[in-house]
Amino acid sequence: MTGSPIQPADSTVLKTNSGAGRVLVAVYGIFALAATARASVQLLTRFDEAPLAYLLSALAALVYIVATITLARGTRASRRLALIAIMIELAGVLFVGTLSVVDPEAFPRATVWSVYGIGYGFVPLVLPILGLAWLWRTRPVNH
Amino acid sequence: MIDELAYVVIALAVVAVIWGLVTAVINKPPGKAQLLFAAGLEIVTVVQSIIAAAMLATGFRPMELATTIGYLIGIVILIPIAWFWANAERNRFSGLVLAVAALAVLAMTLRLLVLWTPAA
Repeated sequence: MTGSPIQPADSTVLKTNSGAGRVLVAVYGIFALAATARASVQLLTRFDEAPLAYLLSALAALVYIVATITLARGTRASRRLALIAIMIELAGVLFVGTLSVVDPEAFPRATVWSVYGIGYGFVPLVLPILGLAWLWRTRPVNH
Repeated sequence: MIDELAYVVIALAVVAVIWGLVTAVINKPPGKAQLLFAAGLEIVTVVQSIIAAAMLATGFRPMELATTIGYLIGIVILIPIAWFWANAERNRFSGLVLAVAALAVLAMTLRLLVLWTPAA
């Protein structure tokens, strides 16, 4: 988190969607797709089996969709939404991850965030940290 | 789904991932050959999904039907979106975007091979 902020060409538009940010958006997009598909299947076909886990799956999907769109837009307003989404994402993966380890009974079925995203190579745990670091790197510079 | 075709998809995806990493490391945007290769990966992936859809339509029932259908649809939209996203801003990161999409295609194909088990 010590990198110097990237100077935007236009000081009102900050490029969360440029350079390495494009790779971040690509990864977020894939998780938006994966989490949405997963939550849809769970909610539509077997909601009553594990309502809490599946509602958290839906929340995860929403968070990834919002983060993908706001990071891809890269405007000043979308940065704020991205920050909120990514902080919820970080809290979610830590909360669900911990709960699924401590109390597996609460999560009889896997979600994207179960055991800190072990089913997805722990990317769900690393992604919000990278997201926050990227927002910091591209933060507005006030002259 | 045909297992042999899945292995072809996996092999092509591995090459696409490595290719994307290489162009990122040498700081070059993806060249024409690399983009055509990604298109080739997409074509084989689409063929696989069509074959699988035909098998589902003619009676094959995997253990988790809804999940399998989701994977068969999701896997074909990754490369086209990544292609657009990679070409909208061409630099070293374009190759990484393609690599990320190819890695997802790889992971989803491995998962599909497991999902493609007949329901008891």
